[in-house]
Amino acid sequence: MKIQHVTVLGLTCLVALSLGCSSSKSGSGGAASGGSDGPAPVFSLAWSEYPSWSVFGVAEEQGLIDGAEGAMGSIEEKWNVDIVLHLRDYDTCITEYGSSVADAVCITNMDIMSPSISRPAVAVLPTSTSDGADACIVVGIDNIDGLAGKETLGLEKSVSQYCFERVLEQQGKDPSNFPFRNLDPGEAARAMQLGQADIQSIMVWNPFVLDTLRKRTDSKVLFDSTSIPEEIIDMLVIGKDSLGKPGGKRFAYAALEAFYAVNELINSSETRDETLVALGAKFSQLGLEDMKTVVTQTKFYDSPEKGLGLMEDQKFQQETMPAVAEFLVSHEMAETKPTFGFNSADSQLNFDSQFLIGIRDGVDPASVE
Amino acid sequence: MPVTPFRWFITASGSYAMIRQPIPAWLFWSLAVSGIVVAIAIYAGMSVYQTRINPTQSVIPGLKGFAEGFDLITKPRGNDKNPKPSWLVTDSKVTFSRLFIGMGLGTIAAIVLGIAMGAYTGVEAFFSPIISFMAKIPPTGMLVIYMVAFGTNFKMFIALIGFGIFFTMVQSIYQSVKKDVASDHIDKAYTLGASEFEVVLEVIWKQILPRVIDNIRLHIGPALVFLIAAEMLFASEGFGYTIRQSQRFSNMNVVYIYLGILGTVGLLLDYGLMRFRRWLCPWFGE
Amino acid sequence: MAANPTALEIRDLSHWFGDFRVLNHINLRIAAGQIVALVGPSGCGKSTLLKAILGTQPPSEGSVLVDGQEILAPSRRVGIVFQHYSLFDFLTAEANVAFGPKLDETSVAFRTFQFPQWRKLRKQHMQEAREFLERVKLAEACGKYPTELSGGMRQRVAIAQALILKPKILLLDEPFGALDEATRERLQMMLLGFYQENLLATKEGRTPEYTIVIVTHELNEAIYVANRVIGLSRFHDDGDQGAMVVYDRPCPIFHPDDPKDLADFVEQREELRRAVFDPSYIKHHSKYVSFWQDLEAAEAAVGPIES
Repeated sequence: MKIQHVTVLGLTCLVALSLGCSSSKSGSGGAASGGSDGPAPVFSLAWSEYPSWSVFGVAEEQGLIDGAEGAMGSIEEKWNVDIVLHLRDYDTCITEYGSSVADAVCITNMDIMSPSISRPAVAVLPTSTSDGADACIVVGIDNIDGLAGKETLGLEKSVSQYCFERVLEQQGKDPSNFPFRNLDPGEAARAMQLGQADIQSIMVWNPFVLDTLRKRTDSKVLFDSTSIPEEIIDMLVIGKDSLGKPGGKRFAYAALEAFYAVNELINSSETRDETLVALGAKFSQLGLEDMKTVVTQTKFYDSPEKGLGLMEDQKFQQETMPAVAEFLVSHEMAETKPTFGFNSADSQLNFDSQFLIGIRDGVDPASVE
Repeated sequence: MPVTPFRWFITASGSYAMIRQPIPAWLFWSLAVSGIVVAIAIYAGMSVYQTRINPTQSVIPGLKGFAEGFDLITKPRGNDKNPKPSWLVTDSKVTFSRLFIGMGLGTIAAIVLGIAMGAYTGVEAFFSPIISFMAKIPPTGMLVIYMVAFGTNFKMFIALIGFGIFFTMVQSIYQSVKKDVASDHIDKAYTLGASEFEVVLEVIWKQILPRVIDNIRLHIGPALVFLIAAEMLFASEGFGYTIRQSQRFSNMNVVYIYLGILGTVGLLLDYGLMRFRRWLCPWFGE
Repeated sequence: MAANPTALEIRDLSHWFGDFRVLNHINLRIAAGQIVALVGPSGCGKSTLLKAILGTQPPSEGSVLVDGQEILAPSRRVGIVFQHYSLFDFLTAEANVAFGPKLDETSVAFRTFQFPQWRKLRKQHMQEAREFLERVKLAEACGKYPTELSGGMRQRVAIAQALILKPKILLLDEPFGALDEATRERLQMMLLGFYQENLLATKEGRTPEYTIVIVTHELNEAIYVANRVIGLSRFHDDGDQGAMVVYDRPCPIFHPDDPKDLADFVEQREELRRAVFDPSYIKHHSKYVSFWQDLEAAEAAVGPIES
């Protein structure tokens, strides 16, 4: 008797719960049909907390984008696309892109190369470049020669290791004399902050750089990404397949417009502080002063002109990207390099400047398919 | 009486559809094989579908993708000056040594404390609340604490697996001591001249041994989960490390092969331990 | 048999659970070679008395002496066969029987560090165990695990397991309670056989080997297998103070080969039922306690009892 009662009660609760969940879903789905020129196509954008990517989070706060499916912000209305924001871990963002769960992803120029082999990618927007945001932090080591033979902890096969080895090469050192051991950057920073004796050197990115320097007062930056300007590029990448879908180009334009709209808020003296605070809230809960440092170490490409400047830069095209691709193969991140090119539609990784140009010139949404 | 489809099915399938009725061996094995075939078919269907959408996709690789992945993990690494074994060899060595040592130490500790708790009410009173609490905490959530206590090297993985399985294992071992070892057995052993230590070693331990082996079998899965999660964050080699890196580079073929290997090893360990238990404790039955 | 030494002596034993007094001034002496049946209504304190003799639950007051030494904890001087859990599941029948010698004669250190000697000794133990199993007619069950044995076989192995250590007294706690009638009778006859061996030993001037206290709720069984029946009950004039020994008399001795004639029991069984189990029959507790006097009287009449 007891068992029957409990079973019936349990099943009733389960049914009620699942009805509740599905009805709330269908409720939001119903609102989707309210678009002006028929239903707006849905595109998803995966982003992780990073200064120039948290911009999309701020754009949502500002009402420019509504990250929920079926709800539209002002820019979404303008371009008639429904952008769904996925806030994820960086690694998860990459996986979402690779598995076509997300249409677009915020990613670095190095990390996109391997996924683009299986899912061709179009880089539509450089968001920032690391100018000190990736740093080798040491304790009890005075110079680069002192680092030789000592283990540096950081995420292997990532921009950290790339930056580490590139700077060493620049200084005329042989990277093979500088062991690099894999550890999640957050954990590496924590390990150093805890003062574990065997950890003398870590190579991490922000916010871990700032955080470690503050919490471990005897630590210092041995070198950082200021030595290799415009080599580590943070970008917005859209899958070639997604871009080809109806509304794909409008999605690209809408994302760019949202990005620059928030950048204007950052650059305007009236709204700068509050926007930085909002950005900081989406980047490790950093406060205003820290965010001021962060945005100097992470140089934003805050206008279409600056973005175009990078894409058309000969050094970036002829030296940096080939070097990054070389790094990819030499570090076993991929068996073969992806083909990459600038405004070359057939490349697996295509840096396409048409959207930057379109935004700069004020393209009419109605003229875009 | 009209022949409804339901009645027809019951008649046609004879007694096979009845609860606990044995079925002939040929039917048992063909059902077992069909289960696997269905699973493979579902995967193949997904792979074909994804490939039709994107011919270069590597998310749900087909046979060719797996062949490439297998090549990737078995290819010797390094260069002429500094040759290194393949990923599979390196990763297997570190992952399985972590797994076995971690599980071994965790199990030994759990046996000692489990028996002590089952045998001595004072020990039970002292440990029971904290053990019950700790057993409910997901060990992967406490990774940072393990890092603080044990650093980021070998010791940390051992500690994570060891403690990860320790608390739940202590619980079931001590329950087993309390339930499976009758007080009459203990009294009897004393009348046969046993010392206290002999009661533990010759009566309690022998009585719970098959439960301990079954417990180890049950904990292989969780131990693997804890280890892979930790390796994803902290390791510079090992299955978890390679799985995370391969995921980042969309080498899902490597990921699936590694997961397949883990599953197979887990299954073999489980089966091996079951055979071991049957051989060691024939009295315990199947 | 009065000449035989005292195996068990209970001196003024009382036991309380909280305010509730279960056993009240129990005095009892059992000589080596006696096979004693202990009967009583359920809840009368039989198990409490048994636990006191076994040493798992020392009495609130008074003492239990086995072979002249006080019992404070379970020891090899008192053997036990339980109704359930009589054997160790993880040992074969012969290993179960050899378990006693193993635990009694060797230590963990010996078995670990002097392994070759231990193996030699182990062979002797197993040989001895097989001989004991033959004694209880179970030679064929040697290599089997308890789960592979029938209930009757298990109890016989359990008796062999207890006997191999030659305890001063063997307690059988409702040993045949869960067995079918035929098996039960076979085991009862085994006990009768033990008694015959005791008589033989006494005749030859040896100390008899089997001193047994069997707890049972079957009055026929009590009278059949034992040469002395003890009844424990609260139904006496001081019953509020707990159970006392209200019946202690000799009973007829059967030979295993004799036909079991129930008519022989009727009179004593009725007396026993009345004295021990009838709540309305209140009498002085010592009215039916006359074993030792009866024995003396009998010996005075016919000389030392031999058969």
